[in-house]
Amino acid sequence: MAGYAEGIIVLLSINCIAAMGVSLLTGFTGIFTLGHAAYMALGAYTAAIMTVRYGVHWLPAIVAGGIIAVLVAWLIGIPTLRLTGDYYAIASIGLGEAIRLILENWQSFTRGARGFPGISSYTGRGVAVVFFTILGIGMFNLIESRLGRELKASRDDKVAASLMGFNIPASRMKALLISAFYCGISGALLGGYMNFIQPSMFDMMKSTELTAVVVFGGLGSMSGTLLSSALITWLMEYFRDISQYRMLIYGALLVMIMVLRPEGLLGNREIWSFIPGFRSNTKRRG
Amino acid sequence: MTTLSQQIINGLSLGSVYALIAVGYSLVYSILLFSNFAHGGFLVVGGYACYFLLTQYGFGIWISITGALVASGVVAIITERMAYKPIRDRTSMTLYLMIASMGVSIVIENIFVIVVGGRFRALPQDTFPHDLFNLGGNVTVNSFDILSLIVAVIFLGGLQLFLNRTRWGLAIRAAACNLNTAGLMGVNVPLLISIVFFVAGLLAAVGGIFLSVRYTLYPQLGGTITTKAFVAAVIGGLGSLPGAVVGSLLLGLAEMLTAGFISSQMRDLVVFSMLVIMLLVKPAGFFGKQVSDKI
Repeated sequence: MAGYAEGIIVLLSINCIAAMGVSLLTGFTGIFTLGHAAYMALGAYTAAIMTVRYGVHWLPAIVAGGIIAVLVAWLIGIPTLRLTGDYYAIASIGLGEAIRLILENWQSFTRGARGFPGISSYTGRGVAVVFFTILGIGMFNLIESRLGRELKASRDDKVAASLMGFNIPASRMKALLISAFYCGISGALLGGYMNFIQPSMFDMMKSTELTAVVVFGGLGSMSGTLLSSALITWLMEYFRDISQYRMLIYGALLVMIMVLRPEGLLGNREIWSFIPGFRSNTKRRG
Repeated sequence: MTTLSQQIINGLSLGSVYALIAVGYSLVYSILLFSNFAHGGFLVVGGYACYFLLTQYGFGIWISITGALVASGVVAIITERMAYKPIRDRTSMTLYLMIASMGVSIVIENIFVIVVGGRFRALPQDTFPHDLFNLGGNVTVNSFDILSLIVAVIFLGGLQLFLNRTRWGLAIRAAACNLNTAGLMGVNVPLLISIVFFVAGLLAAVGGIFLSVRYTLYPQLGGTITTKAFVAAVIGGLGSLPGAVVGSLLLGLAEMLTAGFISSQMRDLVVFSMLVIMLLVKPAGFFGKQVSDKI
């Protein structure tokens, strides 16, 4: 396969993994985050440092990247998940930027703002697609599971959900940890594809992009998230020739979608619920 | 001791510039209850308008500043009309407004990247007084710091008078309590929101001009500063104007004291830790309304 197409497939898988994580948190749990690029950064740096400095095999290094992201998310989540609405969003900006600044200033360990070069290219097409498939199957099963229903219930009406006996704080925490894991893995894969990582790759802009992708696809639609992630990755590649205008188009697109179709591409339905005669749990909920 | 008093004055001056930006942001938040991420864009518009009016077209400083304020205010109104109003008309979810505002901030930033380029610019040095003068002891103060403090006080005082003494001020305060009820009471809501955005844009432009003198002017300036204005607004209490001022001053002081006594690289880290600590201890901020959602 041509290198260009392979690159797109790898990037697509990486972006989709991160987007699925954010979709679980924002679309299904209703926690609006603007700092998830930081978890990608944690995953990327963990995997990079483990493989380059300690010679660990890339597979455990990627998983470790996810686990470190989960641990940090857990530490952060205990106090901040009590916050709701804009407050959590703003706290997540602060935390995300704080993590990025720590990576940038911890010269001896992360090489600071100059970035971390020399990561071996362990993320080929195969690795990326396998990770995407496994994590994708996991995620689609998760949102139809008991936990998934609990999350959706707490998003739609917290009071009613807690009256039903759901432990809302615990399930919100689980959603955060799982989403951090997905973003950590995605960051670790990104490092292996780019061979070079830099704290500024994971700034607030990247976090915004992750959340925007989820909203594009439709809050509460996992297949919508994947669809919009694919669409945006492809669109951004398509506009690479006029790279000056890329971000401008991206911003304008964001505004236009909010104005013209705020519910996103698929609303809160999954893509197969549009197929006539196909009944799914998600559709009945609507 | 000398460093301490010097850094306190620097901190207050920086804080007062943040206050101009945070108050505008807070004003919009108090009416529409969403975080306007495009607020930093208004500041950049003001900075560039002033820069080009001064250097390119050779206008005097007063005309340039007035032009910058108006330009920023008008951009704010246009933003509201084109991006936020259609969304407000069809849904009440502020999440959509928040995301649209991110889009607007990306658009404004990149219009500048494309049109004027991403390079750093500085307003001509002789535009503003920069003489040092002695405040007794060994404390020397840059007159620019004093100037920004005074201008901020004038503008914030003016805003206070506008809100407390005029009919539109009354309408804005009513809308901050409840926008829909204010509308039912005969307030022209679309006009009111335009006025609020104009005022917010104007204040952002003042802040933007001062920041571009203090540091440099570049298209991404808005992003970093808006984040700090958010933090200041949250510390003071979202939607509270006095809170935004207090939060900004605290933030300016913390930043300058960190820069003076620890290391200037730690400044931003201190800012974000203040945010997190505040959210943990008192999520509603010093002057905010209690967060009603307790679950």
